[in-house]
Amino acid sequence: MKWSTVKLIFSREMRDQFRDRRTLFTVAIMPLVLYPLMGMAMLQVAQFMREHPTDIWVVGGENLPSSPALIENGKISSNWVSEKNRKLLRLQGSDEADAQFFSLIKEFKQTPDSNHGSQLVDRLLEQQMEARKVDLAIIIPTSIDDPVAMDLTGEGAPPAKVYVFHNSAEDKSKIAADRVGAILNRWQHAYVEHTLGENNVPSWLIQGIEVNGADVSDKRGRSAAMWSKILPFVVMVWSLTGAFYPAIDLCAGEKERGTFETLLSTPAKRSEIAIGKLMTVVAFSMATALLNMLSMAFTGLFVYSRMTAGIGGMQMGPPPMASLIWLVIALLPISALFSAIALATAAFARSSKEGQYYLVPLMMISMPLMIIPMLPAAALDFGTSLIPVTGLMLLLRSLIEGHYAEALRYFAPVCCVTTICCWVAVRWVVYQFNSETVLFRASERFAVGTWIKSVFNQRHDVPSIGNAFLCCVLILVMKFFIGIAAAEMAPQTFVDLVQITLAVLLAGVLAPTLIMGVMLTTNVWRTLKLARCSVPVACAAAVMAICFHPALMALTELVMKIYPPIGDASQISGMFDGLMQSAPGFWAILLVMAVIPAVVEELAFRGFILSGFERLRNKWQAILLASLFFGMAHSIIQQSIITAFIGIILGVIAVQTRSIIPCMIYHVTHNSLTLILAMVSPDRIESNPMLRNVVHSPDGNGYQYTTFATVAMAVIACGLLGWFLKLQIAEPEEHATVDIASNPADESRNAVESPA
Amino acid sequence: MIHVRRLRKSYQDLQTGTFTALDGISFDAMPGQIYGLLGPNGAGKTTALRILSTVLKPTSGTAVINGFDVNESPEKIRHQIGFVSCNTAIYDRMTAWELVKYFGQLYEMNEDTLQMRMENIFERFQMNDIRNVLGSKMSTGMMQKVSIARSIIHDPPVLIFDEATSGLDILVAREVLRTIEQLADNGKCIIFSSHIMTEVRRLCDRIAIMSHGKILTEGTIGDIVDRYGEKDIEELFFQVILESSRENAEPETAGA
Repeated sequence: MKWSTVKLIFSREMRDQFRDRRTLFTVAIMPLVLYPLMGMAMLQVAQFMREHPTDIWVVGGENLPSSPALIENGKISSNWVSEKNRKLLRLQGSDEADAQFFSLIKEFKQTPDSNHGSQLVDRLLEQQMEARKVDLAIIIPTSIDDPVAMDLTGEGAPPAKVYVFHNSAEDKSKIAADRVGAILNRWQHAYVEHTLGENNVPSWLIQGIEVNGADVSDKRGRSAAMWSKILPFVVMVWSLTGAFYPAIDLCAGEKERGTFETLLSTPAKRSEIAIGKLMTVVAFSMATALLNMLSMAFTGLFVYSRMTAGIGGMQMGPPPMASLIWLVIALLPISALFSAIALATAAFARSSKEGQYYLVPLMMISMPLMIIPMLPAAALDFGTSLIPVTGLMLLLRSLIEGHYAEALRYFAPVCCVTTICCWVAVRWVVYQFNSETVLFRASERFAVGTWIKSVFNQRHDVPSIGNAFLCCVLILVMKFFIGIAAAEMAPQTFVDLVQITLAVLLAGVLAPTLIMGVMLTTNVWRTLKLARCSVPVACAAAVMAICFHPALMALTELVMKIYPPIGDASQISGMFDGLMQSAPGFWAILLVMAVIPAVVEELAFRGFILSGFERLRNKWQAILLASLFFGMAHSIIQQSIITAFIGIILGVIAVQTRSIIPCMIYHVTHNSLTLILAMVSPDRIESNPMLRNVVHSPDGNGYQYTTFATVAMAVIACGLLGWFLKLQIAEPEEHATVDIASNPADESRNAVESPA
Repeated sequence: MIHVRRLRKSYQDLQTGTFTALDGISFDAMPGQIYGLLGPNGAGKTTALRILSTVLKPTSGTAVINGFDVNESPEKIRHQIGFVSCNTAIYDRMTAWELVKYFGQLYEMNEDTLQMRMENIFERFQMNDIRNVLGSKMSTGMMQKVSIARSIIHDPPVLIFDEATSGLDILVAREVLRTIEQLADNGKCIIFSSHIMTEVRRLCDRIAIMSHGKILTEGTIGDIVDRYGEKDIEELFFQVILESSRENAEPETAGA
């Protein structure tokens, strides 16, 4: 790669982008102008909201004690509220109509009647409050005496009551309730103190034990905690958004203008063009993120301080300088990752318009990874550090909050994952730029009718790559909806469990596979890889399943440690044991939990789907893709990771043997062993000395394989896998039944040969 | 100069399956010669020219340009060719001067030589008035001039014109054709694709008529006229295409 060419392309693209108004608007104009304008608008709105007065209707104000006085001269006493807020509380006094209403209330409230009376009062009050346009009503039904000395030995009169009515369905009324509630609390406390004072009782007695809370964080720490959640998110979102528009212009836009072809005919290599363009997108992504972050932070800070200053609330400091430095450092890998993904996606688009359609799905895929770190429960640990984007955001959070020890511990895994992701993404960009099918995709419009016709007319023995993808998507969607329906009906008996399992497998997995196999291919037998296998191959598959099982169980344990399951596992396990006990026998459990899933899943994933992906002409790509979808089809994330690994082993067997029969044998053996291990009784183990060397129960809670057995058996399994990889079973000849009329180019093979 | 042998290109398409765009074409073109590729839309002309300009890789067969094979030395071939595509391919936000300079730099030209050659070309094509005009402000004629200037900036021995006059008005098209003639007079080997017969008659020394990815007939215009006994080149073109369609239809009918 010649860096001088990369630099030349980078300089041209940068200059080009600086002359593009749309890009400049997203990168510079929006952050520098839009945020301050939005901030100003928010301040205006907040001003309007904050100064809205509260109207209060006081019924029975004459019953209030003169000391401590709650109301003075028709207004709330200044003892309980600041002068500024006092002006916002407008009281409406009693009149003749009130007197009647008040007596009605009094009657109902004093009757130890049912809820009926109370509900009637509430309805009456709601009507009255609406008619009087008040936000809150305070009713004092009986006279409250001034604090006096009293006989403390006697039982005394019941405490006086004050009723506060508000309408929680209205925001203004809720605000009024908050304001008045605080005032009444202070007044009530003063009344109690006065009463105790009159009776020579020290007021501290009513407090009992004083509980003092204190916030030990300093202002910088509080500020950092808040900024650590906001800033990484802003940076991530804007680095993705900032990458996308230049990426579309640099790829799809160039295709549209027809300049791509001429560029590709120059001595510049595709990789140099790709890297030059990528560097431009990274630069714009970083600039967009930085400008947006700074502008949003300072506008937000200004708006927030203005909004909280008036009500004497907390002050929020500016983001700590260290946080900004960490963000700038982290911005390079973030932008590189997002820019590469955006550029590779944009390279696929035929026009700028089509490129913009890809933005929303890309955002939707990335957004959950960015939102997870903002959740209160999200913490940086080994599991989260391995999740792309999420790990980096959590690491940033720790660094901004000053938890350097924690950050240092997970620095290596986060860096590794981010570097791998960046590398894969950059490789993808270069691959896209080298792919003729991507760069020169047909520009004609997609016609559904033509497509359907071509799907049925141009059937082959095995499905196309598109058919395989479609089948995967159908299975995922069907499993999702059937899963939702199944979750509604919690299984009570084994029969329920059988029904749910069969519904998911047959309707969600088998039906789409068979329907697509029959309709879209001409050789269902070959598509589903139903060819017979030899006895040695079948035996090798079974032995490999047994030998890989300990290693896969160890992997399961590791995955469970890294990503602990949410919820009470023991409860689920108890429920599962209950269901199993209602089974007619172990054979039934094996049939439903081991055999049927194995057969159905192999038909779908190693049959139809893998056959389609094998048309990529790269067996490892095909195996990995099929395994990825096999993992995704298992809804629990821990299970998905493990099944994806198993999918790779099964994929190797299927590709090498051209049959899913050994895959089914492997799958059934694996599932059965897992069930047996979960249900094995201690008596069986203890009575068999050989088994004691294979499995043990370290904590008395279930059995697991011994380390010796795991390692020894894994070695044998790897040997068998190597044997499978060396197997050479010829692929049968393709019997394409392409409709000749629909493909004239194939038809004219015997036409006049041009002169040599 | 250009030797094409059994060149074949097929595409794997998710939507339509396998599509053969070029089905084993062979021809030769010499320095100072203008070789015309004629054919209706979808005949495979653009695919052939894209392979010659190393933008696409052939599925099978070879093409040797100035001694370099497209399969083995595509990078070396790129220094030997100038490619003008059917659309003017001008960057909207670059001036004529910037664009030609950019391509000269991509061809790794020496700064002084590049400057001298740019002055020369801008003078020769009367482009000095549009030196600082952005691509988006140029007329189609200006764009095509800049496009040709861009393709010859590194003085390549081979020039590939893919429907270079498509969409141009008669005056501009005439100017482009004159430029191509001049380039051929200067010893360049030119491959020129078109479906406008008058252009082909005026320009080309040899022609190949293509359809469905195949060369149906090839030779000098005089040879082909003699072979088919038809003097009007447009009629000749129809006759060749029609004959080919009939021949293709026969085996299908026989098989049905």
